[in-house]
Amino acid sequence: MANSNLPRRIIKETQRLLSEPAPGISASPSEDNMRYFNVMILGPTQSPYEGGVFKLELFLPEEYPMAAPKVRFLTKIYHPNIDKLGRICLDILKDKWSPALQIRTVLLSIQALLSAPNPDDPLSENIAKHWKSNEAEAVETAKEWTRLYASGA
Amino acid sequence: MDSEDDMHDAHDMESLEDDDFYSGDTEEGAMDYYSDYDDDAGDYFDDADKIESRRPEQNFTILKESDIRVRQEDDIDRVAAVLSVSRVAASILLRHHNWSVSKVHDAWFADEERVRKAVGLLEKPVVQHPNTSELTCGICFENYPRSGIGMASCGHPYCFSCWEGYISTSINDGPGCLMLRCPEPTCGAAIGQDMIDLLACNEDKEKYARYLRRSYIEDNKKSKWCPAPGCEYAVTFDAGGGNYDVSCLCSYSFCWNCTEEAHRPVDCGTVVKWIMKNSAESENMNWILANSKPCPKCKRPIEKNQGCMHITCTPPCKFEFCWLCLGAWSDHGERTGGFYACNRYEAAKQEGVYDDTERRREMAKNSLERYTHYYERWASNQSSRQKALADLEQMQNVHIEKLSDTQCQPESQLKFITEAWLQIVECRRVLKWTYAYGYYLPEHEGAKKQFFEYLQGEAESGLERLHQCAEKELQQFLTAEGQSKEFNDFRTKLAGLTSVTKNYFENLVRALENGLSDVDANGASFSKATSSKNAAGSSKGRAGRGKGALRTNRTSDDTHWSCEHCTSVNVKSATTCQICNQRR
Repeated sequence: MANSNLPRRIIKETQRLLSEPAPGISASPSEDNMRYFNVMILGPTQSPYEGGVFKLELFLPEEYPMAAPKVRFLTKIYHPNIDKLGRICLDILKDKWSPALQIRTVLLSIQALLSAPNPDDPLSENIAKHWKSNEAEAVETAKEWTRLYASGA
Repeated sequence: MDSEDDMHDAHDMESLEDDDFYSGDTEEGAMDYYSDYDDDAGDYFDDADKIESRRPEQNFTILKESDIRVRQEDDIDRVAAVLSVSRVAASILLRHHNWSVSKVHDAWFADEERVRKAVGLLEKPVVQHPNTSELTCGICFENYPRSGIGMASCGHPYCFSCWEGYISTSINDGPGCLMLRCPEPTCGAAIGQDMIDLLACNEDKEKYARYLRRSYIEDNKKSKWCPAPGCEYAVTFDAGGGNYDVSCLCSYSFCWNCTEEAHRPVDCGTVVKWIMKNSAESENMNWILANSKPCPKCKRPIEKNQGCMHITCTPPCKFEFCWLCLGAWSDHGERTGGFYACNRYEAAKQEGVYDDTERRREMAKNSLERYTHYYERWASNQSSRQKALADLEQMQNVHIEKLSDTQCQPESQLKFITEAWLQIVECRRVLKWTYAYGYYLPEHEGAKKQFFEYLQGEAESGLERLHQCAEKELQQFLTAEGQSKEFNDFRTKLAGLTSVTKNYFENLVRALENGLSDVDANGASFSKATSSKNAAGSSKGRAGRGKGALRTNRTSDDTHWSCEHCTSVNVKSATTCQICNQRR
């Protein structure tokens, strides 16, 4: 098993995530790989994703915490900063990563991104265009997708 | 000093030059040069120095690695002293202000608070750790005694191994490490070189220092690296004067403004256009020239990829002709030896009518051909320059020493040969770019074009003479067994040609940079530089000997007349124009 020499930091983070989870977020390590986390984020209230439960996967690379964790949506979601493969456009996952950030802060940032989509820095060109040209309609689509794909399976 | 008598004096003594329109001060320079040499050797060296110092003021400085270091350290010291901050802080401030000392000063004294915040120089820690014997590393979450924890000015605690990892990751990501901040995302405290030196491994420290040095050149508006491959010198440039040419110690010359190779008298825009054109067309051009013939009627290039010699051009031209002789097909038939063996072609070939160059000239109106014309000359001057550079090196490394032996002359007395070759190299460069200039000179400006071609032609033949002399006439002395009497004559001739050619080209460059304004202005804008140089040259008080300024600022006084054909200004005594040889 790859968990034999897991850094203390990862163990501590995992313990804290389990003992005092952030509201609306759950993250638990996979049984056979302590660097792989199954994540669930509840759609924030007053967002088009409200009522949805979104599954994500999070992986801590060998260089973590010097390198950012890799995170991806598994649940289909209609969001200008998330593409159809579930990849997320978020600065702290790229150049703004700092080893002082944690799994918890990353997941909170993703939750915040659901509340505040940023169509000016899009990952999915079409959705962003939709968002900018007709926000009301785009929000409707996002709600529709939430109902279709994220309603508590 | 620019009286007519002096003028004539200059002319009488000047035997090397008959087309001396541009050579106002050249003659003077050259004359003094020879005669002083004859008088006594001491003066000769004096004059050599004088020539050196007469070169235009250099507005750039070449920096070796050690120079860069010294300058950078000086700037850091200066800022540290004026702002009363540490050298590390001064370095961070400079880095954030593109290494401009004055910008740092301005920003700092305008609003120190704001600057401190922007660059991350904190005055007091954000986090205090009173009376704790152990601290938790913010990255690995382990507890360490205080001595095992490092922190920047902000006080955020990280252990040494996490620091090392953090710094190493950043350094290996590139020069962005020069802007490194505390790992705590909300903090922003700057991590300076002191922390790097304390916490990074040796390899990373070296990399960091290299980035810092590079940044000093690359982020500073006033300096650049020499663009020659493998050259490690940098150049600083002081604005002022329209001349952007820089020659590096590695002998590469380039334009400060566009970092292409030096291209006076052509401007940067033209160079970009020309280089683009060459890269886009040169391959096409070669292929077209090798594989096609122009239609004899419409001049479009035609590739013959199959079939017989009977070619029919595509509509709308539809001209039918013979591929071999390019004559009309209607003239062909059994009479001419059958369709497949054109004896008109065979016969003509024997008579030498089908000379390739002849045909090319015929096609010169074709735009492709026009381009080829300029491109070929541009390229051949380029290769000629390369050859001259190699010859120059050979001369410096091998021949000069040998020559010094056989002719019993100290090497310092043979400097005129190296100078001649340096001049050839420079002139080839200028001449090369005049072809790009010519290509973009508008067709409809007939007078300018004519004038340009005249100047270019003169420059070319002058340079050929110099090149010939330096290459061929020197040969006999290189192979000679012992001292030859003619060597002094040779010296006189080569030095004279060098200085005459140098002057001609300098004036040519100036004229082209002025956009050949003489043609419209009916003035003599060349003369300014000429006369100011004369003033410098006369400082030794050799008045009365060949100080002729052929042209002065005066355009219409009673000592001069303007040629009505080419507008150039001539001295009163001349009955034909110095430039176009038309009678007054």
